[in-house]
Amino acid sequence: MSLKDTLRSAQPESSGPLVEVRNLEKHFYDNDNIIDRLLGNGPVSIRAVDGISFNIHRGETLGLVGESGCGKSTTGETVLRLQEATDGSVQFRGDRVFEMNGDDLSEFRRNAQVVFQDPYTSLDPRVPVGQTVREALDIHNIGTKTERNERVRDLLERVGLSEDQFDRYPSEFSGGQRQRIGIARALALNPDFLVLDEPTSALDVSVQAQILNLLADLQEEFELTYLLISHDLSVIRHICDRVAVMYLGEIAEIADVDTLFESPKHPYTKALLESVPRAETAERDRDIETLQGDVPSPRNPPSGCRFRTRCPEVISPNSMDIDQHVYRELMHFRELVENEEISVHKIAQDAGISESATELDSREQKAFVETVKDEVLDIELPSSHESTVNDAIAHLVDEEWERAATELRSEYESICETSNPQLTDDEQPVACHLYK
Amino acid sequence: MKPILRISDLSTRFFTKSGQVNAVESLSMSIDDGEVFGIVGESGSGKSVTARSLIRLIESPGKITAGKIEYRNAEVADEIEDSNPEAVDGDYVDLAALPEDVVRSLRGPSFSMIFQDPESSFNPTLTVGEQIAEAVEVQRRASSNPRSVKSRTSSSAYSLRSYAYGTIMPNRSYVSSESKDRAVELLQQVGIPDPEERVDEYPHEYSGGMLQRAMIAQALAGEPDILVADEPTTALDVTIQAQVLNLLRDIQEETGMTILLITHNLGVIARMCDRVGVMYAGEIVERGTLSNIFDEAVHPYTKGLLGSIPDIGSAGGRLQPIEGNVPSLMDEEMGNRCYFADRCPKAMKTCLEKPADLSVDGAKEHEVQCVLAKEEYDESDALDPGQFEGEDS
Amino acid sequence: MISDRVKQSIRAELRRSLMAKIGIVLVVAIILVATFAPFLATQNPKEQNLSESNIPPVGFTESTEEIQFIDGERQTVTETVGGSLDHPLGTNQLGQDMFSRVVYGARTSLAVGVLGTLIAMLTGVTVGLIAGFYGGRVDDGLMRFADIMLAFPALVLAIALIGLLGPQTIDIPDPFVALGLVDGMPSSFTLPLTVTLVVALVNWVWFARVARGEALTVRERNYVKASRSLGASNPRLMIRHVLPNSLTPIIVLATIQVAVIILLESSLSFLGFSGTNLSWGFDISQGRDLLATSWWIATVPGLAIVLAVIGINLVGDWLRDALDPDIEGEGGGM
Repeated sequence: MSLKDTLRSAQPESSGPLVEVRNLEKHFYDNDNIIDRLLGNGPVSIRAVDGISFNIHRGETLGLVGESGCGKSTTGETVLRLQEATDGSVQFRGDRVFEMNGDDLSEFRRNAQVVFQDPYTSLDPRVPVGQTVREALDIHNIGTKTERNERVRDLLERVGLSEDQFDRYPSEFSGGQRQRIGIARALALNPDFLVLDEPTSALDVSVQAQILNLLADLQEEFELTYLLISHDLSVIRHICDRVAVMYLGEIAEIADVDTLFESPKHPYTKALLESVPRAETAERDRDIETLQGDVPSPRNPPSGCRFRTRCPEVISPNSMDIDQHVYRELMHFRELVENEEISVHKIAQDAGISESATELDSREQKAFVETVKDEVLDIELPSSHESTVNDAIAHLVDEEWERAATELRSEYESICETSNPQLTDDEQPVACHLYK
Repeated sequence: MKPILRISDLSTRFFTKSGQVNAVESLSMSIDDGEVFGIVGESGSGKSVTARSLIRLIESPGKITAGKIEYRNAEVADEIEDSNPEAVDGDYVDLAALPEDVVRSLRGPSFSMIFQDPESSFNPTLTVGEQIAEAVEVQRRASSNPRSVKSRTSSSAYSLRSYAYGTIMPNRSYVSSESKDRAVELLQQVGIPDPEERVDEYPHEYSGGMLQRAMIAQALAGEPDILVADEPTTALDVTIQAQVLNLLRDIQEETGMTILLITHNLGVIARMCDRVGVMYAGEIVERGTLSNIFDEAVHPYTKGLLGSIPDIGSAGGRLQPIEGNVPSLMDEEMGNRCYFADRCPKAMKTCLEKPADLSVDGAKEHEVQCVLAKEEYDESDALDPGQFEGEDS
Repeated sequence: MISDRVKQSIRAELRRSLMAKIGIVLVVAIILVATFAPFLATQNPKEQNLSESNIPPVGFTESTEEIQFIDGERQTVTETVGGSLDHPLGTNQLGQDMFSRVVYGARTSLAVGVLGTLIAMLTGVTVGLIAGFYGGRVDDGLMRFADIMLAFPALVLAIALIGLLGPQTIDIPDPFVALGLVDGMPSSFTLPLTVTLVVALVNWVWFARVARGEALTVRERNYVKASRSLGASNPRLMIRHVLPNSLTPIIVLATIQVAVIILLESSLSFLGFSGTNLSWGFDISQGRDLLATSWWIATVPGLAIVLAVIGINLVGDWLRDALDPDIEGEGGGM
């Protein structure tokens, strides 16, 4: 029996999803050492992955897409138990991965592998590539040395390298070739499941196409199941069957690839798809409604829906008649008030109010309100909302931040701030208050 | 209209320990006033070196070994006519023939550059505002005495005395308050929210996208004629990339400046550019308008590049990659042939000689460095694929 | 374990740098001298001959004025002693040959330097790798202990430890003498054991810090993660991937530590803590009081220390430059 058959016969069959992830959480902690504890600084938690659930079915490719810092790579590593999860569970063929040890864990490691993004740091520069590919066989002590070397040569050929490159060092290979070596290493134990962590992001587009084709061929030949992590939506579209969109540690939407790209539901998915520049002549004249601002820090994520700070479709309170952009502007203004980020003294000066004045007359008060609106609000308020805002600003004269904030909140607070939407339970699960 | 930049036979080489690298090889192109010209290519194609060569930012072991970089500016031509007559040709000044200090004086008011990596382009110990104001200050001093090249380059801000003052009296900033006001204006222009507050923050308090905006603000300080943008959005997320590209478009429309955009991303090219040059192995192998390149490409490399991109509009299917790898550009391996011939699916025996720049269908702006522009591919003339085996190891 | 590329870069750097060549020549010379001391020494370095005390090196003469009472009369007698080839570097106040003492002193310095460094490296690298690789509490504990070690002045700590352990020595028979290849030389070499252990104890912390720093970065590299996902155990990851990729700065540090330890050993000998009376530091302490009259007794071993330390540091610089990852580079990037 050849080594290849030995490796193949080790796979028991069972039904159900290959991988089931439930409420997976991974938090990192800053300032977590003796000195900080002595100084009484509590650790700051960074919620890289904050309660996500999904299934990966046998033979499919699930894409995990999102911007940098959304937690997609951490998810991949935690699923493989390369990092210890903070909470939640991962089941592989029905077995709980986080509770495995000894032989179980060893068996899991044989069946679940990873290919990394950067082909320059994913290969040990001091180990010849043949040995790198053989390492898995050495660790699990499979076959004789000749058999192992034979298998490594087969693998190198299979991924498009030549077997006489066995003894070369990684520095002698180009980025694309290194990525092929990384793939060969992952395939050595004939796994069922591969996590592909940005496998082509560091490569040129022509080489990327070679690797994507190779991955597609290998999937078919070895009946592989992929979790593909990428920020590149065209790569995702090209090879995934289903896609999960991540934003700040949470899943915003999961759908099969055509549904997601053709009728996205979540405002973030829509914005993401719209932002990608297409390589075609019509691109120049396409109007892109870009998202405002940056991704908030995962140290201090927004309350409610994580996306609300950038969302173009924030839900205004019931029955309020207000334009989306006016509403967003007021949200922003309220945020400034809540964080006391308006320089009242400077504005008072600009409004021509002297420092020494303790009691403002109505004219001065009016001037102050107008100046605040001038400098802080970028838009002209419709009359229906002017009085509420004017009242709130008037409180700022006496630096009554709390009161101003409360007044604005009671009027304008959105459901998107107060409650974090959960994924809906239907064909196209989406975490957004617009779909309830 | 005469082009603002005329480059002819530009060659830039690197003399490294392991040999001579021909990063840019006899490159010629011209860029019109007020257009956005894109250079697209893969890593190692020489596109970044081309950009740096234009503003003479090539450092040892690199050197511009041949060619002219002619920049149209009557005022500058007038000014240096006496000191460097050999570099002046009518309204044009040859940057490659100017002494370093004159070129330096042109960086800012004539050219400026933005880079891929905004994090490392700012000094972490100075506020963003100070660094933008500093750029403003240099320009201010230059315009107060435009005749003197020296005034633009040696600034009292860097003298030991001002440093000593700054140390003893920390409140005494070495940029004037007008410069700082201008910095706020510039930050406003590039869409930084609350610029009055943000101007006093340090680079680490900015996100990547905001730093890229700040870098654009810095580049705009001298109101340059030409902005060279080297992979300006590569390090950014796609939603932020869209913001920055829109910003660059708005600024270009507002100021009418010329932009030379270097990128590997054909989508970015499609969004931004009027005309495009496709670079391969140190040469521009095809150039033309957007539709020339995207819809009527002739060069097999351009076609291969377009065929390699997965389509965001439809799933599945097989990609058509270009086989093989980008050549090394080492002088001894280059030879005098079409450099793409070893990867080209339509290579013929004639490709062993270097092809000339040929115009496609008589269109003036669509030029391609490939014999297919004038003859059909003939299988009987096909090049033996084993031809290059020996070189490729 | 060392790739051809690294070897090439080491050779290229050697060709390029004059300082590296000087360093190599000095270090090789010291190693040869220490190894073949019995053949090079002109006489037994421990042999006393009071009739030949305080002879200056070749080419120098030294006059001593002495007041004598000859025939009851007080006379000033000037005695002039000139250097001779019998004692090319002169003799000390006991009439021992300085050249032979310097030659044998190289053995002590080198033995303590190399052995001490090895022990320090083994301890430090083990501790540092474990701290850096496992991180968290383990790291906190080990590294705070290392910080405390660093807070003590090295020499004070060393003296305290010697006080605690007592100056133990081991006598190692000299193979050349045992085989009868040379006569008249000391039959054994005295290794100051306590000093060796103490210098290692004082200096392991540097290795621990460097190894930890390297381990911290290397363990985050993807090839380590990839191996882990293949099922590799922690010891395997550390030995196969983390250690080899952390070695470069450790090797450079080790070279420089040899020089540091030689200096420390000399200081300890100078202060009389070493347990051997055949070392450069000991000789300097002997010559200290005679600097005004017999300057060479302290100067000759002093020069030996200077040359040895300079040589080793030059080699260290050379290795640092040659092993610099920039030069090892990935290639292709422009």
